[in-house]
Amino acid sequence: MEAIEHPPIFRLPGIPDHVTYTWLVMIILAAVTFAASRNLQLVPRGIQNFLEVVLAQFTQMIDDVTGHEGRRYLPLLATLGLFILTANLMSLVPGLAGPTGNLNTTAACAIVVFVAYHWIGARKQGLVAYLKHFAGPVPLPLKPLMFVIELISHLARPLSLTLRLFGNMVGGHILLAVIFLLMGLDGLIGWALSGSVVGAVVGGIGGAVTIVFTVGFLYPLKILVAFLQAFIFVMLTMLYISGAIEEADHHAEHH
Amino acid sequence: MRRSLILGGVAVLVFPTAALAADGASGGWIGPFAVIAAGIGMAIAAGLCGLGQGRAVASAVDAMARQPGAAARIQTAMIIGLALIESLAIYTLVIALILLFVKGIQFS
Repeated sequence: MEAIEHPPIFRLPGIPDHVTYTWLVMIILAAVTFAASRNLQLVPRGIQNFLEVVLAQFTQMIDDVTGHEGRRYLPLLATLGLFILTANLMSLVPGLAGPTGNLNTTAACAIVVFVAYHWIGARKQGLVAYLKHFAGPVPLPLKPLMFVIELISHLARPLSLTLRLFGNMVGGHILLAVIFLLMGLDGLIGWALSGSVVGAVVGGIGGAVTIVFTVGFLYPLKILVAFLQAFIFVMLTMLYISGAIEEADHHAEHH
Repeated sequence: MRRSLILGGVAVLVFPTAALAADGASGGWIGPFAVIAAGIGMAIAAGLCGLGQGRAVASAVDAMARQPGAAARIQTAMIIGLALIESLAIYTLVIALILLFVKGIQFS
């Protein structure tokens, strides 16, 4: 990937790019939230108003999926969502690197989710009751089999969370890198500038078409994907948490 | 005709080996086949993923047209389902990326 992607403009020697830009995301988010909450008012204006709208979206989503119970987990969900969204959008700015384009960042987010929802479930129902639910409502001889299957499906969750976010982001980056390579100075634009008549005609038209395609179609698509992947990450986290805490209520109703 | 096809196939199978053997042991004979496998695998995965997502979206749009009141919930469920379907193609993408870009894996 190093071969076709341009390195970011700001690099710290000895530190990987995704770590540097994770710190940049943290600085941006901390600065925005600090500026919004420094001078709280009953009738919000400006940046406080903006952040309240954003958080109202999160609470709305939590109420829809997990019910009123889930509002306790708003800090985890909103932090994950805002971090992933900012990182995704930052990877679209030319000259910056996206932390979510690296497997380590997404794996860290997914492992946090994995530990968090098991912790929440075990705290809510007690460890034994929580483990008992892995076996499911099947007759006794089948319970060990169900337990193993459930265990594997739970272990697959962080893997799929990691790979989904990473693959979507990196796939988009490689697509953009290939398109830029096609139209850059090595490609169509370079051909158009090379002085030959055929190059000027074919390369100029091809370069113009590629630029319009990139700006008009690929970038909006990438912005959509950035929002969609952040939404899906938060939504799946919410579903896992609600699955971990709802089994207790379900169990209590039936027995 | 058939004989020339067979000869061509044999040539394709043999020549990367010969070329890379002359080139030195940079990546071994697996390199060209890794590129071919990444391309074909990604094509199959993308096509079948498109079919699956098309079926899912078709059903969701059908349901939304029949019951516009439940459109928001159906849309949420559809997006989650699409993400789960798409992740299967993403697995193939990751494997293709590993085949293309990760040096130093020796498939011997």
